[in-house]
This record gives sequence, C-alpha cells and structure tokens, in this order.
Amino acid sequence: MSAPFYKLGAFGDEASLIVAFLIGIGFGFFLERAGFGSARKLVSQFYLNDLAVFKVMFTAIVTAMLGVTYLSWAGFLDLSLVYLVPTYWVAQVVGGLLLGVGFVVGGYCPGTSVAATATGKIDGLVFVLGFAAGTLGFALAFPLVKGLYTAGDIGTKTLPQVLGIPYGIIVFAVVLMAVGGFMGATWVEKKMAGRAVPAKATE
Amino acid sequence: MASVTHDVVHEGVAEKARVAQPYMNPYLAGIGLGLVLLAAFVLVGRGLGASGAFNSAIAWLVSLVAPGYARSNEFLSAYIEEGTHPLKAWLVFEIAGAFVGALLSGLLAGRVAVAVEKGPRVSVGTRLALAFVGGGLMALGAALARGCTSGQALTGGSLLNLGSWAFMTCVFGGAYAVAFFVRRQWR
Amino acid sequence: MRVLPKLTLNQRLGVLALALGALAVFANVAPGHTVTVNAKELLTSVARAEDHVTPAELAAWIIEGRADYRLVDIRNEKAFAEYHIPTAENVPLATVTDGALGRTDRIVLYGDGGIHAAQAWMVLKGKGYTQVYTLLEGLDAWKDEVLFPVMPQSPTPEEKARFERAAQVAKFFGGQPRAAAAPGSEPMALPTQAAAPGVAPPTLPAGAATGPKKKREGC
Repeated sequence: MSAPFYKLGAFGDEASLIVAFLIGIGFGFFLERAGFGSARKLVSQFYLNDLAVFKVMFTAIVTAMLGVTYLSWAGFLDLSLVYLVPTYWVAQVVGGLLLGVGFVVGGYCPGTSVAATATGKIDGLVFVLGFAAGTLGFALAFPLVKGLYTAGDIGTKTLPQVLGIPYGIIVFAVVLMAVGGFMGATWVEKKMAGRAVPAKATE
Repeated sequence: MASVTHDVVHEGVAEKARVAQPYMNPYLAGIGLGLVLLAAFVLVGRGLGASGAFNSAIAWLVSLVAPGYARSNEFLSAYIEEGTHPLKAWLVFEIAGAFVGALLSGLLAGRVAVAVEKGPRVSVGTRLALAFVGGGLMALGAALARGCTSGQALTGGSLLNLGSWAFMTCVFGGAYAVAFFVRRQWR
Repeated sequence: MRVLPKLTLNQRLGVLALALGALAVFANVAPGHTVTVNAKELLTSVARAEDHVTPAELAAWIIEGRADYRLVDIRNEKAFAEYHIPTAENVPLATVTDGALGRTDRIVLYGDGGIHAAQAWMVLKGKGYTQVYTLLEGLDAWKDEVLFPVMPQSPTPEEKARFERAAQVAKFFGGQPRAAAAPGSEPMALPTQAAAPGVAPPTLPAGAATGPKKKREGC
C-alpha cells in the first residue's frame, strides 16, 4: 500500500500545506467552471429549473467513490488511513436542515461563497462575513449548544458497516441511484423550461 | 471573436464586460471535482472542506483579542495548537487555493465582474442582508454537522460515511422546504 | 452487422459509470490478513526496550490527562467489564486487526500478563503500525506496582518518599498500598469501576512532560 502518501510518511506537514493549496486551486477552479460562483445558478437547483448542483455533486461523489474503490481493491490505497468524520446523527440532521435553509436564503455554501467572492460577487463577500459571524456566535454559545452538538454520537460508521451489505454493492447502488437521478433531472429540467430564473441581475 | 458589451448592473458603477462564456458541462465539471477529491485522498488521506477553514480563522481572531478565552473555549481550542499558528491549517491553505482557482477559471471564462447576484423583484440592500443572514444560518448548521457541502456531502458521501449521507439528505430537504418562502429573492 | 447507436457524451459517461459500478460489486476494499515481519527490526526494538511502557509511566500519563494515545485492553468483554485500567478501550485480541486501530495511532496494548499483548504487538508491527507498545507485564504488573504498591521494610528516606508518592497514585486509581504479601495470601480485591478517580490527582515529579494537543482534523 503506497497511499495516502502523507500518512505513510512520504512528505511532511509543510509540504502537505502546499499540497492543500494546489488541491484548493483545483477545487475552486471546477466550482467556478460549473457556474457555482453564481448564487442564481446554485439556487436554481431548488426551483427545479437547473439541476446542475445535483449533477455536479453526485458526479463528483461517484467519481471519487469509484476511484477509492478501485485503488483500494488494487492494494494501492489504504482506506483505513483516510479520515472519516464521526457520525453524530442528531447534530448532523439538525445541521443539515439549517444548512439547507441557509443555502436558499444566502445563496451560497462556504466553498462556493469563496469562489463567488473571487469572481467579484459582493453578495458572496457578504455571505462570507455572515458565515464568519455565525461561526463566532456558535463558538461563544458553545456551552449552551454542546448537548445538541454531541447528540447522536455513534462513532465512525459507513453505510456498508451499518447496513451489513458489502462495500462494492453499495457502490453499485449509489451509481445506479446517481445515473437514474441524472436521467430524472434532465426530464424535470425539460418540464420546467420557460420558468427560468432571469439570466441577468435585472431585466 | 467579436466582443459584445453589456451593462452588468450593480450599486452605482456600470462596467463593460466581455461576453461571459457558458458554463462547463456539469458532468465534466463533476468529474473534475471528483478527481481533485480523489487526489486529496491519495496524497493526504483526507478530503476537501471549507467550514473548517472558517473555524480556524475565527479561532485565530479570537486568540488575538482574548487568548485566554480562546484556549478555554471548548469549540475554539480544538483549532489552536501550542507552538503553531492557527492559520497554518490544511483547510486554510486549501480555501486560499480555492480562491485562486476560482479566480483563474473566472478570468479564463470572462466571468469576473463586480456584481450582486439577485432576482429582479428584490433590492440590493435586501439581497445583501439576506446573504449575511443566510451565511450565519449556514455557519450554525456547518458547525453542528462538522462540515458543509464540500466536507460532509462531497467527501463523506464518496466515502459512504453514514452521517454524511444523512446530512446531505437534510440539506436538500431543508432547502426545498424553504425555497418557496424566499422565492421573491430569486425570481 | 449491427451498428452501435450513436451516444451523446453524457450518455457515454453514464454507460461508463454503470459499467464501473457493476464491476465494483466484486471489489474487496479491506486490507489482507498476511503480515510481513522485519525480524531484525522487531527484535532490536525489543532488546532496546522500545516496545513497551512501564505501569508507572502509564499511570503518569493517565493522571496528566494525556490524550495523544489509545490504551487498548485486549482481553475479552467480560474481563474488561469486571475491571479495566481507566481510559482503556476494549479490542479483544482476535479483532485487533479488524480496523478499530489506525495504523498511525499511538497505541498501548495490555492483557493480563505480557504474552498476549506481545503477540498482538508483533502482528500489528508486521502490518506496518508505527507507534505500538505493550504495557510491560500487563495487568499483573499494574496491580503490583500501581494499584497495590508494597510498603518496603525499614525504608530509607528516599524509598519512603517514593512509596508515599506511589501510595497517592494508588489512591487515585482506587487501590491502596499494602504490607509485603506473604506467599499464598489472598489477592487484593480490584476496585470496582465506580471507585475511580474522584480523588485529586497526586502531584507528579517536576519534568513530567505532557504531549502536545494536536489540532482537530476535520472539514
């Protein structure tokens, strides 16, 4: 097993920060390529006329997922060394709902707000400031929210572990769901054509 | 290639911009994003993220103003390590790179322009206020969930993380549930 | 001769994804069970005492509240429930390679004596674990040295001071000092899990180093 290189000692902390910067460039590049530096494009997902958010997100998930599966299978990547965020299901359900609401109200998510700011969007910059303020508020209120923050602590769990179904089968199921979703998305977009969010800031 | 001038409307100053190129095929952009994510797994054994960078930045700012409090605050102290600067964190460098990458893509596509993204029925002021509020709400959600769409949904989703899939479902659910009520901002 | 239908780019991508997904059904993503052992390196690290920590060292770490390592009890669940060293987690011997332990984690293994932990240590080293150690002589030594330290007969002032400190440590962990045990006497009762650190931690000798707190990894 040769990968992940950093965790197996191939390079040190300083170098990993440079790697972070380079990977970040790729991240921001493709976000903007997809049009995610635009709040209107992002939000169109939730008005059903442009489902690019779903298409990009799940294509990315499927790509990385298949890559991880094949590289582990080939003995190249040691999956046990790839960091998995532990599951706090109650906190994550509440957090997800809040995040969804913030998405349609604010028009961005943290990563895309940075992309938007980079391409000149003032509302992107204001979103960044709001996000920073929210983070500070959360930190200051932490003793009050700690109970919710740690609610549903069941440790690090993957879908194959919890469902008792082999990894590869879950992978195939996700691919099926994604491809089916993409076909469905195309159909929905066609149905909704003509009710487009205006392409300019004002008409 | 003929360049056509438009007016891109924003508060006060009108700017002339080249015709912005159309966005990339979403599936190709998704593959690009997925390969970047895979590179992160293979090179460093972790995925992408964004909200963590904000946590580090806030922890740093608080430690400048009130270092003792920052160390004793349970949430912030996780982002402060004795001997290294809080901003010397993987996600901070990654987000800095994301800024550069997005700018690069925008420049190549003629999509860099000062503007305020909004629908026709709402004022700039209202839009900016809602952007701020939305950002704040999102921050609460991301802090609770230990991540946002890049960290939890993209990264955790591709690793089949249980919490991430639950989170992702709720993000879409919450957004769709509220979209109707804020449609005036966008349409 | 059949002509293949002309597919758009998106459709081709979809077909490719489905093909890769179908093949992935057969994937085995868990690492294998064979182990490669560098005999020389293993034996050298044992000879240089780099393979273990002593009960006294472990007791100091626990009192300091160090959080940069994992203490792993490799006995079965029943034994673990009856008594385990505070802060230990239970990973029974047969499941030690199943994935609960990360390859770059710092791990201290212990069993009843020293043998099982040493066996687990060797297997984990063979799997490429970089920071794994055993508790020297396991729970037996923990009981003798930490929980129930023996009062020396006619101690020198130095021995007395050392014993006093050991007695404080013992109290912290719910044990107590004892006079030298006569051969064949009853073994001391182990503290129940409830009787755990509530006593103020004893002061440690100056220079007891604390490990640095690592920043949280996450997104």
